[in-house]
Amino acid sequence: MEASPLIEEIENLKNSFLQVSDRLVKDISRQEKIMLRSDRRQKKEYDELQRKFAEVAALQQEIEETQKEVIFTMGAIGESRSKETGNHVKRVAEYSRMLALHYGLTEAESEMIKQASPMHDIGKVAIPDLILNKPGRFNEAEFEIMKTHAQIGYDMLKHSNRPLLKMAATIAYEHHEKYNGTGYPQGTYGENIHIYGRITAIADVFDALGSERCYKKAWEDEAIFNLFREQSGEHFDPKLVAIFFKHLDSFLLVRRQFADQF
Amino acid sequence: MQDLVIEQTQYTPAISMLTEGKISLIGKSYPENTFEFYKPVIQWLNSFFEEGSVDSLSVTFEIIYFNSSSSKVFFDFFDVLNLNKEDKNIHVIWQHDVDNESALEAGEDFVDDFPDLNITIKTTD
Repeated sequence: MEASPLIEEIENLKNSFLQVSDRLVKDISRQEKIMLRSDRRQKKEYDELQRKFAEVAALQQEIEETQKEVIFTMGAIGESRSKETGNHVKRVAEYSRMLALHYGLTEAESEMIKQASPMHDIGKVAIPDLILNKPGRFNEAEFEIMKTHAQIGYDMLKHSNRPLLKMAATIAYEHHEKYNGTGYPQGTYGENIHIYGRITAIADVFDALGSERCYKKAWEDEAIFNLFREQSGEHFDPKLVAIFFKHLDSFLLVRRQFADQF
Repeated sequence: MQDLVIEQTQYTPAISMLTEGKISLIGKSYPENTFEFYKPVIQWLNSFFEEGSVDSLSVTFEIIYFNSSSSKVFFDFFDVLNLNKEDKNIHVIWQHDVDNESALEAGEDFVDDFPDLNITIKTTD
């Protein structure tokens, strides 16, 4: 009789031990099953995620490509109205990118400037042919009309929330401003003119002077360089003129690569 | 004992546990602290079997997404049901969307693991 409480206790311990170990075995095997299932599920989910990401990336690229094409085409429309070649647009784009990069803007921003700068003259679509294609100099009234293309281009683009189009709006608006404040449409000066406008101004003039237009012959390089030296701090941002001369060889290379074919 | 109703969040399902014998868990289940979150749920279930006066219990699971800890908690939940299957008339509906294979597989696991429970897998379009 003395032993029975002890036996009872041991029996109880044994039973609870069995219960607990049963429970543990069940839990462990269940845990393994859960892990196995989870691994499979996670694999499937991650595969799906990667597929979706790839899809999004492809769409993103499609959007960007479309945006580029639309912008380039719009620029080309603007240029074609004034009988300039598509290569003017390409050269200005490339010059702008190089100026931006050497000025210290990021690779991404410089690439955007390259894409947006072709639209600088889009406002010309609203300028009458008679003025746009007039051989020889404009009279004052004609020049006033011609000047409106900057404002018109800006008005066409300013409503967009797309970063690239916003940039293009700024460029269209400010590419005829001059560093000394005598440009148009606003007559702003110095670094109040957006860097995008200052860059496109120099890129556009460099290319325009070196190309034949309906109203003028192409300038000799030396004459262009002289003008740039004279206009440093007048028409153009002196920092950008310095960059232009420092990297002159690469600008001339681009001009050769995208030379107009006659 | 009282009804337990927990509003749905981004990470946790809408939970309704009614003393009249109706339980539903609907939504996603990937809380940060899964075991903490489901503690009152398991507690309520235990109390229901200890104190509840109704004879039958119907449970609806409609879980779109769940983490592995939730999966473990659901097994624990089914364990409690399994322990009490003699005392109450229990019916479980495991509902899943036709495209949701993971949810279907989880439901099939419960059917495999608890052959004596009355579990219906329902596929919705």
